[in-house]
Amino acid sequence: MIHAHDSTIVRTMSRLLIPLIQLFALYVLFFGQYGPGGGFAGGVMLGASLILGTLVFGPEAAPCLLAKKLIHGDGIGLMIFAGVGGLCLIGGGEFLNYSNLEIPWVDTDSRRRYLGILVTQIGVAVDIAVTALLIVFSLSLTNNSEESHA
Amino acid sequence: MSYQLPVILFLIPFLTAVCMPMVGRKNRHCCRPMALAAVFAMCVMAVVNLWSVLVHGETRYAFGGWPVSTSLPSPPTGIEWVNDPLASVMLVAISFVASVCLIYGGPVLPQSLGRRVVLYYTLILLLISGLTGIVFAGDIFNVFVFLEVAALSAYALVGVSGGRALMAAFRYLILGTLGASFYLLGVVFFYAATGTLNMADLAQQMVDNPELMTSKAVIAGSTFMFIGLGIKMALFPLHGWLPGAYARAPDAISPILAALMTKVALYAWVRIMFWVLGARAEIGQVHLLTLLGALGAPAAVVGALLALSQQDVKRMFAYGGISHVGLILIGVSQGNQTGFAGGMFYMVNDAVTQAGLFFIAGAAIYQHGARTVEEWASLRGGSPWMTGALIILAMSMIGIPPTGGFFGKWYIMLGAIEAGNYLAVGAVVIATLLTMAYFQRLFVSIFRASQASSSWARVEMHISLRISVGVTSAAIIVLGLCSDPIIKYFRDIAASVGL
Amino acid sequence: MLEHIEAALQRPNFIAFVVLFLWGFFIMVAHPNLVKKLIGMYLLQTSVIFLLVTISAKAEAAAPILQGSDAVQSERHQIDPADYANPLPHVLTLTAIVVQVATLGVSLALVTAIYRQYGSLDEDQLLKRIE
Repeated sequence: MIHAHDSTIVRTMSRLLIPLIQLFALYVLFFGQYGPGGGFAGGVMLGASLILGTLVFGPEAAPCLLAKKLIHGDGIGLMIFAGVGGLCLIGGGEFLNYSNLEIPWVDTDSRRRYLGILVTQIGVAVDIAVTALLIVFSLSLTNNSEESHA
Repeated sequence: MSYQLPVILFLIPFLTAVCMPMVGRKNRHCCRPMALAAVFAMCVMAVVNLWSVLVHGETRYAFGGWPVSTSLPSPPTGIEWVNDPLASVMLVAISFVASVCLIYGGPVLPQSLGRRVVLYYTLILLLISGLTGIVFAGDIFNVFVFLEVAALSAYALVGVSGGRALMAAFRYLILGTLGASFYLLGVVFFYAATGTLNMADLAQQMVDNPELMTSKAVIAGSTFMFIGLGIKMALFPLHGWLPGAYARAPDAISPILAALMTKVALYAWVRIMFWVLGARAEIGQVHLLTLLGALGAPAAVVGALLALSQQDVKRMFAYGGISHVGLILIGVSQGNQTGFAGGMFYMVNDAVTQAGLFFIAGAAIYQHGARTVEEWASLRGGSPWMTGALIILAMSMIGIPPTGGFFGKWYIMLGAIEAGNYLAVGAVVIATLLTMAYFQRLFVSIFRASQASSSWARVEMHISLRISVGVTSAAIIVLGLCSDPIIKYFRDIAASVGL
Repeated sequence: MLEHIEAALQRPNFIAFVVLFLWGFFIMVAHPNLVKKLIGMYLLQTSVIFLLVTISAKAEAAAPILQGSDAVQSERHQIDPADYANPLPHVLTLTAIVVQVATLGVSLALVTAIYRQYGSLDEDQLLKRIE
């Protein structure tokens, strides 16, 4: 069982830190185009911020309710990834050939590839964040509350 | 459209698995029809793919459009999937066995699953898509990724029914991860030595620089890869996880695990052995194929020997599976077309036979509550479908015509005789005799006349069980009757590799 | 013999890899506690990834991305690939780390289920309670 942490210092610091971590996670996610980063690292940090909120404030508090809602989106990240790949298939090329993405207002080849990579990485990040949350929730709940989110 | 078939075959189970948690949250009773529809669609597409490969020949699928040609000056920069005759046959076998196992899995599923049945079907579909990825993979790191996808789904599936299965799943997880780490180590050494991961490019480099084959990095890499895949395929000394995992897994899961997991790992090793290292590969001065034969023979004999002493029927069949992996390795390692064709044919036949055996074991538990060899006496009053199918399966395991098992073992022995490897012939014969012995134990227990006939209730099998058992037996007979074109097909594949 | 030892000492990353690998393997085999076995397994996988990272390290290498003026320059004359890091082994490392985390997730779930069912995490105790 996760109980809310009763130290004021911890609660205040995490109230400051959680948005900062999420901001940095988004930065790492988008900066993956130009340097180290990308979907995996950004997703892990996003998941870590939500786990921190759950650990510090307990399972019933407001930051954690958002986390619980996110768990219902179990396969969304992978669906985004496979969906982009499938769009490339529909557009006529191979599975993840972004130059075949047929989106109306995206016209040059480099813009198509840019958009394809970005959407794929966002999908990966969402998936990893939700999975990390799911791992922590399923490990910490006892048997009676197990069925509530399964 | 036939060019895109490999990806479509992968996406059908994968997309269904990905959509299933959210669809299942609304209505969990539509999971089973969704899973069945996905696997049947995959079966149909696998047959279409086989026909397309027979007509058009081998195709290579380059992901993302990145070029993978091995001709100079540009080395391959992309990831490719190879849709060649061997892969398409394996895929037909995988999808056929998976669809029959899913039909079987309906009534035998533990009722205590409740809402988690959604996740159960998700895991099965992820397992199938992981196996599809291994079969098609054209570079060695792709094999690692899909090996782990399939293995993680299998670890979770073994532990579904709780209780004693959890410890077996934990042991499977530890040993399986050890195997995958060894395999990854082998990939690291290969990459360090050659700078490429693509199987075709690696083969080209092995041919171009012969000193690469004797360099320490490649020898170490292939050794680690073999140990890793040996743990995954449960080769004799490395088989510790298999009996516990298969015996204690839920009855609906054991068929699909027993039929497919070890065989696909064996297929991956055959790919790396023949398509990357080449059939003439040597370690030190010893041919790699001779080493494989020397390891396969004890596995075949010891597996059957250990099966003889088991009480629990599922454990007995699991040890029989270990023996079969040894037999397939003997066949493949003879270094001639007959042995290779026999080994591959026996692999396809073994997938169907193992599935059938675990169907019957699970049906015995479900209908009669019979787990051990003594308790199987209550099958005497049971359905004639069950004992009839058991007879056909026993004929296939022992190797009696016209079942597929006979032709597989026949060609393996012919290949061994052709290569002058009489120890292997002896091992196959001993393994066959031991298999006959442990099946005789089962039949004696069922047909012993010393029990009073009034204590047996005539129980008719559930329709799904009857369908799955009947289809499996029919498939074994069909494999046996059509063995000639299939053996010729595998011979052509062996000729294309240079045997 | 001496030149073998000298050659090994010139590659400290291989020695470190071997030490970590065998240490993780020993922990996995010798300790009876299930969570410690998992720690050993994690150490084993980490050692393989460590080897992969160290053989792909390159001194003074830039990220292999051409932007703006670099992209224009590359059409005029050749870009020297020795200035840039090879992205492939880093991608392999990322994938292996993701596989490692997923394995750890599944294994921790199994350990939690075992603990809820049997109340112990010691292998000898568990084998007694299962029988």
